[in-house]
Amino acid sequence: MWKIVVGFIVFAALALWLLTKGGEIDMSGEKHGVFSPEGHVLAALAVPTAHRPAAIYPSGF
Amino acid sequence: MATAAAPRPMSAEEKKVIFASSLGTVFEWYDFYLYGSLAAVIAKQFFGGLDPTSAYIFALLAFAAGFIVRPFGALVFGRLGDMIGRKYTFLVTIVIMGSATFIVGLLPNYATIGIAAPIILVALRMLQGLALGGEYGGAATYVAEHAPHGKRGAYTAWIQTTATLGLFLSLLVILGVRLALGDAAFADWGWRVPFILSILLLGVSVYIRLSMNESPAFAKMKAEGKTSKAPLSESFGQWKNLKIVILALIGLTAGQAVVWYTGQFYALFFLTSIAKVDVTTANLLIAGSLIIGTPFFLFFGTLSDKIGRKPIILGGCLIAALTYFTVFPMLLNYANPALVAAQKAVPVTITADPATCSFQGSPIARPIDFTSSCDIAKRTLTENYVPYKNVVGPVGSIASIKLGEKEIPSLNATLNDKRDAFSPDSAKAIAEFKKTVVESAKAGGLTAKADDKTMNKGMVLAVLIFLVILVTMVYGPIAAMLVEMFPTRIRYTSMSLPYHIGNGWFGGLLPTTAFAMVAATGDIFYGLWYPVIVAAATFVIGMIFIKETKDVDIFAND
Repeated sequence: MWKIVVGFIVFAALALWLLTKGGEIDMSGEKHGVFSPEGHVLAALAVPTAHRPAAIYPSGF
Repeated sequence: MATAAAPRPMSAEEKKVIFASSLGTVFEWYDFYLYGSLAAVIAKQFFGGLDPTSAYIFALLAFAAGFIVRPFGALVFGRLGDMIGRKYTFLVTIVIMGSATFIVGLLPNYATIGIAAPIILVALRMLQGLALGGEYGGAATYVAEHAPHGKRGAYTAWIQTTATLGLFLSLLVILGVRLALGDAAFADWGWRVPFILSILLLGVSVYIRLSMNESPAFAKMKAEGKTSKAPLSESFGQWKNLKIVILALIGLTAGQAVVWYTGQFYALFFLTSIAKVDVTTANLLIAGSLIIGTPFFLFFGTLSDKIGRKPIILGGCLIAALTYFTVFPMLLNYANPALVAAQKAVPVTITADPATCSFQGSPIARPIDFTSSCDIAKRTLTENYVPYKNVVGPVGSIASIKLGEKEIPSLNATLNDKRDAFSPDSAKAIAEFKKTVVESAKAGGLTAKADDKTMNKGMVLAVLIFLVILVTMVYGPIAAMLVEMFPTRIRYTSMSLPYHIGNGWFGGLLPTTAFAMVAATGDIFYGLWYPVIVAAATFVIGMIFIKETKDVDIFAND
């Protein structure tokens, strides 16, 4: 059991360290849509803009 | 009713069973989350050249991968698992998942092979959804059928940690590769590395799983020729089983799913979008809460062997339903007090003819489906999470937004000839309107970013940990409970479907539904009614109709 605890702590510490180094990552989990680089009207389903990666949705629509 | 096993340490064989099942499931979640975390890069690589109509069709197909294919996978692999065995079925699911992920890493992009690239990508995404639908039920059933009586909660709780660990593993690999290669190389080709690496994870998982034995309960049943010949019709065609499947869905997994999504994903969305915390800080806070919360999966799984599954799962649903409307305003206040002050100081109203306002809750609607001045005004404010009050306007009037003393008229939009985008004039007018609204909101402090100096990070973290602990309450014991509700001959099929419908539909619809509810009312907390109502309904239905299962002998009817 102690090996699991140590492994988990190392795993967690590494995750936090990497997040401090380059934390701009989409952690919002599974996606249901198809994303358009131009932010066209098109591929976005009715999910709000804030749920999508901002970089590919320069405008809200 | 069976008697509980005398206390003893976990045997080496049991440890191996749990490790092999959990590791494979971690890898499966890793594969699935890669796509989510890299959605922006994938978009550029595979969907960049599509016209609006094609892109919408692909959007629908990708949507189907999560909402339809996953429950379908539960049926397909559940049936196989109940007919040919748990071991070979969840070996197949991991091979499908790992192979599909690996191929994404090698797939030429749109610039190289044109329309074939997104077609193959979406097909691979569907295969992933199919495999994920079959994996969880297999792993949970396999571990539970190896666990001694009285320890199923503790043993299966390890499976429950895998979704969180898989998400973390995907983040670790993506961030590690991006850090090593640099942003430009990562966007160009480095994004493929995490996908390609999945072949190693697949190899390890297959090697370990091949060395495992079939579940003893299933092996015995097969040797005696008692396995089900038609698990689907037995599970869903006979009312006595179908009734339990339906109850498992509405009395357990629906509430579990909304609490899980709210604690793990909606909290992140709330921090970044509504509280306007910068992405890195929000990610760190969420990651910290998930790390601190993860051991609680095991705690509540183990506790459920002693006090029962029902009080813990339904208790988590009840606490969630009772506290969300207190906890989320606290989160906003601790994260961004200046924003809260601005929201109190600057009144915002939308005046509109209610007949022109639609409920924007269809998960397959497009932004161009909302062309009225009311809908455009509401979407503009809601996308910036500026709270507002609704005022009834004259019949047929154009909606307008009033921000403090400033009034901004909205517009009715028109579509282009192909009806796949706003007309150029409308697109331009919408952009102007949005710009004016956002600038006015900004001037009033209504879009103020959270300030590191005024944010109470300790309390934000404490609130997030509370939300994650609710997640562990509802999720830690759920595998054991679902397994115990069904007999061995149809267990895999029967437990997989309510789990995936509950999580895929009730959980997956949370973002869209919450957005629509906020848009309809202007209240930034109104979206919480969705998880509150579903969790409360699950509590009531579960309390009345679900029986405690911790003492059930799962092999009694074999």
